[in-house]
Amino acid sequence: MIIRQLSLHNFRSYSDAQFYLAEGLNVVVGPNGIGKTNIVEAICYLSRLKSFRGAPTANLIAKGTQSAVIRAIGERQGREVLIEAEISSGRSKVLVNKQVLKRTKDLLGALQVTVFAPDDLMLIKEGPSGRREYLDDLALALDPNLEPTFSSLDRTLKQRNSLLKQISYKPDEGELATLDVWDKRFAETGEKVVALRRSLVADLVPLINQAYQRLTTTDQVVGLAYQQSWDGELFEAVQKARELDIRRKVTTQGPHRDELLITLNGFESRNEASQGEQRSLALSLKVAAHQLLFQRLGEPPLLLLDDVLSELDDDRAVGLLNNLPKGQTLITSATEIPNLVVPDNVITEFDSLSEADHG
Amino acid sequence: MSAYAKPVEVLIDELGRLPGVGPKSAQRIAFHLLKVDAVDTQRLADALQDMKRLVTFCDRCFNIAEDTAKGVKDREVIDLTLGDSDTSLVPGSAGKVLCSICTDSNRDSKVICVVEEPKDVQAIERTGGYKGLYHVLLGVINPLDGVGPEQLKIKELAHRVAAEDIQEVVLCTNPNLEGETTSAFIASKVLAPFGVKVTRLASGLPVGGDLEYADEITLGKALEGRLTMS
Repeated sequence: MIIRQLSLHNFRSYSDAQFYLAEGLNVVVGPNGIGKTNIVEAICYLSRLKSFRGAPTANLIAKGTQSAVIRAIGERQGREVLIEAEISSGRSKVLVNKQVLKRTKDLLGALQVTVFAPDDLMLIKEGPSGRREYLDDLALALDPNLEPTFSSLDRTLKQRNSLLKQISYKPDEGELATLDVWDKRFAETGEKVVALRRSLVADLVPLINQAYQRLTTTDQVVGLAYQQSWDGELFEAVQKARELDIRRKVTTQGPHRDELLITLNGFESRNEASQGEQRSLALSLKVAAHQLLFQRLGEPPLLLLDDVLSELDDDRAVGLLNNLPKGQTLITSATEIPNLVVPDNVITEFDSLSEADHG
Repeated sequence: MSAYAKPVEVLIDELGRLPGVGPKSAQRIAFHLLKVDAVDTQRLADALQDMKRLVTFCDRCFNIAEDTAKGVKDREVIDLTLGDSDTSLVPGSAGKVLCSICTDSNRDSKVICVVEEPKDVQAIERTGGYKGLYHVLLGVINPLDGVGPEQLKIKELAHRVAAEDIQEVVLCTNPNLEGETTSAFIASKVLAPFGVKVTRLASGLPVGGDLEYADEITLGKALEGRLTMS
């Protein structure tokens, strides 16, 4: 879906504002604190019903008002689509073409977005949980029906850990039998999730290399390797580690301990790549996910790049912006974009109150 | 700090502990009861007490059952004869309380349907299609709530399968993570040694529904469990 027009009402810093977007590259330029990221956040909310910055819903509503409204008029396959979200401290609701959605799940897929924000550098720099989440989120965006698989794994793990905490050091037969049943379920769902992640990794390898090489105009090779934290069948591994699990009172084997190793020319990126390389890698991961969504869903998601240029030198900025995946992109920047890039639309006006409201 | 007389305060607090009753509703019920005749509140009080006194769990299947031994006696009499053995009153039951289903000789005593709660018995009874007996677990395996097999009536199920002539056990726990796990536990850890036939309730489409409105997971399950027509 392409967004043509975005209206914000009592959303963060905007009391009433309208923005017109073009199909290709939209650039939002303005000084710090003027509300550029709020635009990204609003679009993202229409897709995920939550802030990409992890902000509580209450923070999205302008101070001193009761509710915020985000309205996007867009186009999908030549037909107009209207998505409206009303955010209030009580129940928020979403309407697609004036129809209230019963389940938030129904919204998934109406508007797909890929967001890149400076914080995403943590994908490379921090521990493995962010990288697992990157894969799982991508799997869900590709197929929302997988949601029960992921939530079931999560809950099984919680149940098993809770059981381990209740078990004494010398467990009786009944406790062990119960553990057996949870082991089996955990292994079944766990293997499923690992298979999903592995197939995603295989699909991402060529895409991330392409993205990274275009961005950096180098021929450095990015390696993605899914590192399973156990050997052989998960069920056997869990059973073998039982004593350890009981002693530590936590599940030591499983997909929740796996790692997605990212290398650059064979060197581990987390510790050995430079800051600039890490930034480019994080960005390439997002662009690769974006490409994969495009390939599979047949429609490019809206690409939202929040304040990425400040971290790239001019060459890389040009490399990024001139090799953008097809589709609609919105990029925010505190500085003018490089001359070699020709945007389709530039937004520099953030003043509230549209003419209709003066009327 | 209390705005009302103590007894009213106490009643509001007690009512507020009931499921689905908030402070506002508790207050409304309490003031309603304050207005009505003493006879009406007495009837309610009696109903509550009788339920606790006369209704108990079936000693065999743990469904709710009426303790007829107590029911036949007058309230005063039972107070006087407290400690008296109940066995003399119902010959043959050896002091056991059985539910109406367990005592029904028309039921097929070779099949046991295992459910989580007594209300699930009612749900299956409403189908009218099941003629066997029940076994109520009174919960599911749920470590997060501190419930393991020992807290459930699983041992009792094993005893029944060992002692009675049972040919089939139908596992009818809810189709969620905890329900499935409980069923898996019973099938693989409890009933396997007996060699009894163990079946699981099928998952599928609601009758009279439309395919297009079915959620993907239910539809997927229904597809997995499709039936041969010819």
